[in-house]
Amino acid sequence: MKRGTMRTERTDTRGVTINLLAEICETDVSTIEGAQRLREDLGMDSLQSLELLSCVSEALKIDLDIEEAMGIRTVDDACEFVLSQYQDQRGHGRS
Amino acid sequence: MRALVVGGTGFIGVNLVDALLAEGAHVRVTRRKRSATILLQKRPIEWAEASLEEPEKLERAMAGCDVVFLAGAYYPRYSLDLGASLAEGVRGVRNACAAAAASGVRRLVYTSTIATLAGAPPGRPADERDVPGARPEGSVYRAVKWSMEREVDAARQRGLDAVTLLPGGCIGPWDVRLGTGAIVVGVVRGMLPWWVEGTVNLVDVGDVARAHVAAATRGRADRYCLTGHDVRVGWLLRHLVARYGGAVPERELSPDEARAQAERDERDAAPRRQRVPIPRELVDMATHGQPVSSARARADLGFAPAPLDASLDRAHAWFVKHAYLPRPNHEARNDENRTD
Repeated sequence: MKRGTMRTERTDTRGVTINLLAEICETDVSTIEGAQRLREDLGMDSLQSLELLSCVSEALKIDLDIEEAMGIRTVDDACEFVLSQYQDQRGHGRS
Repeated sequence: MRALVVGGTGFIGVNLVDALLAEGAHVRVTRRKRSATILLQKRPIEWAEASLEEPEKLERAMAGCDVVFLAGAYYPRYSLDLGASLAEGVRGVRNACAAAAASGVRRLVYTSTIATLAGAPPGRPADERDVPGARPEGSVYRAVKWSMEREVDAARQRGLDAVTLLPGGCIGPWDVRLGTGAIVVGVVRGMLPWWVEGTVNLVDVGDVARAHVAAATRGRADRYCLTGHDVRVGWLLRHLVARYGGAVPERELSPDEARAQAERDERDAAPRRQRVPIPRELVDMATHGQPVSSARARADLGFAPAPLDASLDRAHAWFVKHAYLPRPNHEARNDENRTD
């Protein structure tokens, strides 16, 4: 895969994830940072985390595994998890 | 059976969907824009866009269904605003009942709680007969749930076939938001700051879900209590520690102190919509708790609650699997030694 394509995918899945995160937390998207913790910093409970992943799953048309998702702690964790699942299921990012 | 489940992504709801699918039912589940649909992924269900605030969409969602399960009615997150909670709770139930009547479903099964029961007369456990004549005072949770039940009663008076189910504190898989399971997680993690003595009734959510299906098909009465095991809070805390580890909190509060502390915690947490260690609703459940009989459900619905420890083990295993609790040391060691 070309490097530029990878960057675009990363940006797209990250953008989708963060936009939905901001919507669920009812906060401005510009205030969200990668290192923020979903629970402690953004005040999300476990159900809201699953609501986020449900919305991401529907927006990107991928299945997300609940058991793996429950271990997500930060915004960056969530974005990386979504990207890896997207690449696995959409057949991209393989060498 | 063609069933609509309102609240199918909630704790009882997910278990109910599984119980319905196990019985071969065609299952439709309402969803809102941001429902946690991931909880039901890979299950052969149909989604219908509707919420309790949208009567027309609810009626469309019920079209063609035999039974509607109202398992996701309003649940006050904080016990701070009685008026707003009452309005929202009653409005949602009223909308659901009106939609059920208009759509011509055969039966509505409504999930309430044993917290709506009045105190039993001396000499017997509480049961379906013990309905307070007036809205309970001193507890937002009990007041709201009592008022919602009366809304179902009113719809029944107008001709709706409705069965009200009153489960105890449910424990088991899919307790994502930590209802009664918060006690298990809090004790094992050693994170409960205090406790209050009282009586709680624990019941396996799987048994409650199967009783919902039975109520839809062969319930003969208006109301059924779905209760399992009456235990004292202090005993339960010590039992959990003995079984899974953790710690019993050192501070035991009186009921008045516990109510005041829970209310302070909720006022602090509400602006940021955060959870509190022990919600006021749980304090109310324990301090108003009493032994409750499920004899009617056992006779009519074949309700047979699992042994307490089996239910606790199922809940504990789910919390471990989904990272609410650390894996017990022996399991972690086994994994480290695996070569596959």
